[in-house]
This record gives sequence, structure tokens and C-alpha cells, in this order.
Amino acid sequence: MASFQLVWRNLMRRPLRSLLTILSLAVAIFLICGLRSLITTLNAGVAAADNRRMAVMSKTGLFVELPIKYQATLDRLPGVEMTTKFQWFGGYYRSQKNFFAQFAIDPANLFEMYPECKVSAEEQAAFLGDRTSCIIGDVLASDFGWKVGDNVPLIGALHPHPDNKAWEFRVAGIYHSSAPNFDNRTMFFHWDYFEKTLEANGVTPGVGVFSMRVAQGSDVAAIKLAVEQAFEDSEQRVACETEADFQRQFVTMFGNIPLFVGWIGGGVVLAILLASINTMLMSMREQTVEIGIQKALGFTDGAMFGLLIAQALFLCLVGGGLGIAVAALTQAPIATWMAATFPGYAITNGTFAFAALVTLLLGLAAGAVPAWRARNLRCVEALRGMD
Amino acid sequence: MTEAMIRVKGVTKTYKRGGESLRVLDRLGLEMEEGRFYALMGPSGSGKTTLLNLIGGLDVPDEGDLFVAGENLAELSSAELAHWRSRSVGFVFQGFNLIPVLSAFENVELPLKLTPLSRAERRQHAEHALKLVGLGDRMHHRPKQLSGGQEQRVAIARAIASDPKVILADEPTGDLDRKSADQVLELLVQLNREFKKTILMVTHDPHAANHAQSIVHLDKGQLGRIEELRPAAAAAR
Ligand SMILES: Nc1ncnc2c1ncn2[C@@H]1O[C@H](COP(=O)(O)OP(=O)(O)OP(=O)(O)O)[C@@H](O)[C@H]1O
Ligand SMILES: [Mg+2]
Repeated sequence: MASFQLVWRNLMRRPLRSLLTILSLAVAIFLICGLRSLITTLNAGVAAADNRRMAVMSKTGLFVELPIKYQATLDRLPGVEMTTKFQWFGGYYRSQKNFFAQFAIDPANLFEMYPECKVSAEEQAAFLGDRTSCIIGDVLASDFGWKVGDNVPLIGALHPHPDNKAWEFRVAGIYHSSAPNFDNRTMFFHWDYFEKTLEANGVTPGVGVFSMRVAQGSDVAAIKLAVEQAFEDSEQRVACETEADFQRQFVTMFGNIPLFVGWIGGGVVLAILLASINTMLMSMREQTVEIGIQKALGFTDGAMFGLLIAQALFLCLVGGGLGIAVAALTQAPIATWMAATFPGYAITNGTFAFAALVTLLLGLAAGAVPAWRARNLRCVEALRGMD
Repeated sequence: MTEAMIRVKGVTKTYKRGGESLRVLDRLGLEMEEGRFYALMGPSGSGKTTLLNLIGGLDVPDEGDLFVAGENLAELSSAELAHWRSRSVGFVFQGFNLIPVLSAFENVELPLKLTPLSRAERRQHAEHALKLVGLGDRMHHRPKQLSGGQEQRVAIARAIASDPKVILADEPTGDLDRKSADQVLELLVQLNREFKKTILMVTHDPHAANHAQSIVHLDKGQLGRIEELRPAAAAAR
């Protein structure tokens, strides 16, 4: 009923005010997209976790190493099909600020254990055939411009090379992971090479995390109990978690960040709602006499309600749409920019839908108060305001 | 004797402000014939605007009945009343009462959007009404780009665009200079004479009132004397 002509002309009556409102709505909705994506990205690892994989780490904490001999014990436990290990290398390339994760792993079954980590058959064979080689994620490769065949020297900050020089790794392959729980900015290299090199110095490395695959249909609670009991009296007690629980630890490692982010998001929405209501009320006040005139001409109360709510909706939909568009367009650059500290940043369709819903509700809520006033405005009083 | 176009029966209107209540119209009775041009005069605060608003269905009385253009207004819901206004009455107010963000043409076209007319027909009617008030060449001006007199003529064009039987004008010349006022008054006389519009015009100005056929006096919410200046155009034929 509300003519678009009047909606548009009324908004263009104060073009700067409308523009600023649209821009602040765009910023708010952009922030909502970003903030919600932080949470969904954190949770994506949990959601994508394989329910047949379990992680074993020190009961004391993730950064305490377990003895390597534990692997044989784990292999013997009923229900355990396969084990593999990860040890944090903690090296850097040229400068400390070039941070990325490196792990010493078992090349033999890494790919079987993590089918989401994809690398071509030739590169996989090349990796297995060369104990000083590594595979790197495609994001890492593009960040540093590394290609297959390149030599990557890393300073072993945590594990210094016995000859006091950089460790050398030849890039044998570049992998790509399709799952959010398996990061694309990591380097994996041979456990053997790592262990043998350190042994030259009389150092025996430990293992950060053992990863196990359990048989289809296993009772993971029973296995967890069995694993934890197996090392009850050993030098290091262990914690055993399903991959989902393990990933969840990373989420809780951020403390109550999801809750905190939720509060910020809620605050952003509330602030923009109040600002939009204020704008719409000012706009409605300017239109008071005209609303009276239109009612005198025979426009109904409902039509005036519609005229005001349409103005609010228009502002919000344009502003929110702009925010969503910017969030979508900047998704790739932001993901690249945050790759090191916050891998896998992605805006889910759910987040886009959520932002669209927030936009719509903002429009309705911002328009509701002035529209209700316009609806109830008594024509004679609106006109008297003019005399 | 034609059926009255406007019949006011025992109408009382009281405003409450704070604890006091102010009886603005007190059991007022009045009949106005179809096709006649009435001027409504009276001291400030005598209830002229209040009466006009009641007749136009913009407000409802506390007591009494209003029959206007064949409807008993008390029987209409607020939405029906709105619809009835769009068909049956045209308003011209004192302050310039155009929508500032719309051009003269768009202002005149606005009430036609409430009718079943097509876009082309609306355009035709609006252009016709603007030409009738002598503003065919100002159609695309915004109200701010028009003089007070021109604005008031656009308001008249808007009031007649949907061809209502009754035109209610509240001090339409109150803010105008003599020359512009005369143009507006001539226009009202013409609408009455040529299109048989029933016109009720509130005014303080005896010169303006002299353009009407009857002058109704209102004083303290009561009907005063009614001066018959000349017979209705139809009767004068
Ligand atoms: N909404 C209202 N609330 C309270 N009092 C009102 C209201 N509207 C009008 N009045 C009072 O009712 C009385 C009559 O008002 P009205 O506007 O009808 O007079 P008027 O004859 O048109 O006067 P004027 O010639 O000054 O326009 C005035 O005393 C006015 O103050
Ligand atoms: Mg008045």
C-alpha cells in the first residue's frame, strides 16, 4: 500500500542522515557476520570431527610430552585399529614472526588416518620415499611461495639441530584438506628423521599427541577408560578424548570467548537498533503534518503504519544487505589474513541467513515504534500542529 | 427542496485538558443544501475548525449525529470513514498543506491512488485539475518552488481531483495577500457555480465571506444568525 515513491522521497529528504544510517547498519551487520563466523569456525572442528578417531595426550596438559613407547601399548589395546603420533616441532622460517605449525608424524599411516588430507599419489610416494622430506598445506605453500622440490630451512627453536644449524626439509608434496578440523597451513615431516637427528645429540624426543582410529561401532567410552587405566601407574598419566572432545578443548582453550563474542554481537545489535529507532522517530516527527494530511485525504491508519515501517525496512535492508555483501566479498582476504592465528575462517550459509534475519528484524523493530505512532496519530492533532 | 448535503444534529464536542473540560460545540444543529457555497464565520476559538473537522469525518462528536453526502458518519468505522473521505470530501487547510517531497502533480495525484483509476487516468485527472486552477505549467514544481497562492491552488486542485461532492476549506486565504486570495476565492466560486460543489469555507475575512451565498455565524459553540446573500447558483439560473 505504501507507495515506493513516498518511501524513497522521505528518505531522500535527509540524504546524509539516510546514508549514515545505512552505513552504520552495514558496519553492524558486517560485524555480526564476522563475530558469528569466529564461533562457527571454532565449532567447525568439533562438528567435522571423525567419530572413530580419538586423541591421547598427557593428563597434565597438551604441552607435556608422552614417552614414545606408549604407542606400542596403545596398539595392543582391543578396539584400536591404528595409531599415529604428532609432535610439535616449534620451529620458524627465517624469523619468529613467520609462524606456522610443524609436526613430526608417522608418514606410513597419516593419509589413511586422515583421508580428508589429500595429496596426489606421486607426491605421497615421494614423501614416503624421502625421510628428510615434508608435505605442506596449500595455504602455507602459497603464503611463502614454496613449490614441490624446494628446500625449506627451519630454525629448531624448541628442538635445536645437533649441528647448530637449520633443519632442512625438502617439499615432497602439497596437500589440501577439505575439512575444517585439518588445517591447510601446516607442515608434516618424518618422525624418524626427527628422532634420529636428535638422538645424535643424546636427546630422546617425546610425543605430544597420539591419534588412534578405533574399530567401527566401538564403545568409545570403554576405550577411553581402558586407555586411561593402561597408563594409570606409568610415569605420565594420560587423557583420552574423542576427536570431537579434543577439538572442543581448543574452543574452551579460548575460555569463554564464544560467550564473550555473543555479548559483543548482542551489544552491536542493540546499539544499532536504538540508533535506528532514533533515526526513524526523527524522520516520523518531520512527517507528522504530512501524515495528518494523508489521513485527511483518506489514507488509512494502516497505510500510514506501512509508510513508516517501509522506510525503516528499506534503510535496514539496504544497510544490512551492504554489510552482508561486504562480509561475503572480504571473506577470502580475511581468511588469508587470519590463517596463521585462526585457521579455517569461513562464513557459513547459516551465518548469512542469520545476518539476513537480524537485518529484517532490525527493520521491523526500528520501524515499529514510529509506525505505531503514525498509525495512532490523530489527524486533527497532526494538522493542528501546523497552525 | 433538495435533501441537505450536510446535516448536523445536536452535535456536542468537548475537549478535556488537564482537569478542565471545554465544551466547544453545544448541541449544534445546522443544515446545508447541496450545491451551495457557505462561509463560516466566528470569533477565534468559537469552534469553527472543530465543526469543519467533524463534518469532514476527521474527528467524532461526543453527542449528536452528522449526515454528510448521504452517509451517517457515526455508522462508519475508522477505515470506512477514511474511504468515505477519499470519495466524498476535499480538504483545503489554511497552512499550506502539500506534501513537500512531492511535486504539484504528484500531490494532486496522491488521493487518486486511493481510487480504482488506472495510472493513465490518474495522470489525466490530475493534469486536468491543475489546468483548472491555472497551474498547468507548474506541474513539476515542488511546493517550495511555488508561491503561497499557487500552493493553495494546488491544494484546491487536489481537493477536487477525485470529484468529491463537498469541499471543506479552513481559512484557505488566511495566509495570502489580497490578489492571491482573490484568485483562490474566484476558484471556489467557479467550482461551486460550474461543478455544483457544496463548499463550506471558514474565514475571518468579511471580504472573503462575501464570495459565498450564505454566511453562517458561530459563537461560543452555538449557531448564530445565517445571512442569505444570494440564491444558490442552481436556483439563480
Ligand atoms: N485537541 C484539543 N484539545 C483541547 N482543546 C482544543 C483542542 N482543539 C481545539 N481546542 C480548543 O477548542 C476551542 C475551539 O477551537 P477551534 O480550533 O475549533 O476554534 P476556531 O473557531 O477554529 O478558532 P480560530 O479562528 O482561531 O481558528 C479552542 O478554545 C481551542 O483551544
Ligand atoms: Mg480554526
